[in-house]
Amino acid sequence: MQIYLPIAALSMNLFFLVGIGAAVGFLSGLFGVGGGFLLTPLLIFSGVPSSVAVSSVTGQVVAASTSGALSYWRRGGIDFHLVMYLVLSSLIGVFAGVGTFSALRAAGQLDLVISLGYLIFLGAVGSLMMNEAIRALLKRRAGIVVRERLPSQHTWMHGLPLRIRFKKSKLYISVLPVLAIGVGIGFVGALLGIGGGFILVPALVYLLRVPGNVVVGTTLLQVVAMMAATTILQAVQSQSVDILLAFCLMVGGTIGAQFGASAGQYLRGDQLRFLLAALVLAVAIRFGVSLVLPPTDPFSMAILGPGGLL
Amino acid sequence: MKGVAQGLIGATLAVLLVSLAVLLAAVGNSRAEDLVSVVSNPNIAITSSFNGETLSIFGNVEPDDGAAAAKGPYDVIIVVTGPSVDRVARLKTNNLGLWMNTEQVEFNPFPTYFQVLASNPLDKITDQATLEANRILPEVQARISAVPQSLHVERFGSELVRLMTARGFFGINELAVRFLSPTAYAGQLTLPGDISNGLFITQTYLFKDGKLLAKRGDSFAVNKTGFERFLFTSSREYPLFYGITCVALALGTGWLGGVIFRR
Repeated sequence: MQIYLPIAALSMNLFFLVGIGAAVGFLSGLFGVGGGFLLTPLLIFSGVPSSVAVSSVTGQVVAASTSGALSYWRRGGIDFHLVMYLVLSSLIGVFAGVGTFSALRAAGQLDLVISLGYLIFLGAVGSLMMNEAIRALLKRRAGIVVRERLPSQHTWMHGLPLRIRFKKSKLYISVLPVLAIGVGIGFVGALLGIGGGFILVPALVYLLRVPGNVVVGTTLLQVVAMMAATTILQAVQSQSVDILLAFCLMVGGTIGAQFGASAGQYLRGDQLRFLLAALVLAVAIRFGVSLVLPPTDPFSMAILGPGGLL
Repeated sequence: MKGVAQGLIGATLAVLLVSLAVLLAAVGNSRAEDLVSVVSNPNIAITSSFNGETLSIFGNVEPDDGAAAAKGPYDVIIVVTGPSVDRVARLKTNNLGLWMNTEQVEFNPFPTYFQVLASNPLDKITDQATLEANRILPEVQARISAVPQSLHVERFGSELVRLMTARGFFGINELAVRFLSPTAYAGQLTLPGDISNGLFITQTYLFKDGKLLAKRGDSFAVNKTGFERFLFTSSREYPLFYGITCVALALGTGWLGGVIFRR
């Protein structure tokens, strides 16, 4: 059944859209990530103009993270104080990211930067996760009991000026690395159309030493707030948010996520991390290959200006 | 669906006949031949199930008042031009192992749609100079709309036309116009599903023995209707409200999913 998408100005199969939403939702439920890093490339490869794909997935990520954020809220697993600092600083990054997005598109370098960005971020995060997961799997096989506990000592970042107490996270640290992480995640998220949860979780854990019981809930709420702001900003500035496309993805994603979450209960944490790392690395390699291999057609075309969606 | 389409064509033919009668009564100009034509659907509505549409352009060669009855054989070329935008063609080259866009040429204003429908191969209808002078060839569109002082305009222009042709927006169909009688013709046009919205111009050229005898311009509009139009207009006129609605929808869907599945 074909459905006409008014902003993307093309018709697509409704079941295909709900289907890829559900498939990515399944994976996001399984691994506890937003799934934007899979959905945006899938849409671009399916022929959706890249600016519409990036902006509409932003809306889908809000929906995908909402139910998780709500359930963590009920359990008290969110550090609202930390979220406030992260969200406010990420808005600066979002503004810069949306501006850079438009400038790169006009210069014809948007696809290059998106590919490089995916290659670098997914490659780095994927390698780190893969390394950690393989070591955990090997230790388990060797019969060593792994104690999941992080060293509690402070790094040099915590000693910077402007220290603030985050009660829920039991931290008394400088606000500067928090703001830096917020700006960075906002910039990358707006530019690449990803929620950035898979970057934010390791950053909060390894750089700020946020305890495990609040890190996921805090990340989810930060993603909801930041992506909601990005959706509104994209709707106003680039006018490329397709509400019908986003809604189809949301419906599929919400349903798929429930099945993914149930399936996730049958796998161990280190196995899940290994599979997620493999997935992230596969997407990174896919983008890397597209940069290095000669393109099938060296020529391409695009529309310039505010109505330009290609 | 087919019955409806035939009914539409029937009704259109009736309208055509009436307009022919009216036009026959009217006094023409000093040329020996004149053209009358009509587009089967002057207002194409894009609805939620829109996936392209087929249009017909009906026309007739009329003898001018006082002249002898129109005699064939005639040839007809119909050029359908869509709304224009600012478009660029880009070339990727390999730099230090990475493929990236390094050169671009801007074409402004460049049509989003350009189809040439003809009753015979173009080179049999008339000569190249006449085709170029009347802007009938897609390559001519690229040449006249290229931003001045760009290098390699010819090369980028023909590549842009190739890309547009591959997407079904540009093309030359030399069998699309059929003569129903020595003077009456019908042109068939298939619009793709991802067509631009706006006003489309159909310019009809009448040839005989390689000479241009008459021209006629018609138009049709492609517009979103109903819910799609409402969504599109809202996104352009009330972008802030549209964005907030989108976020509210996302929050609602996420919340509802959590409630239904008791996550």
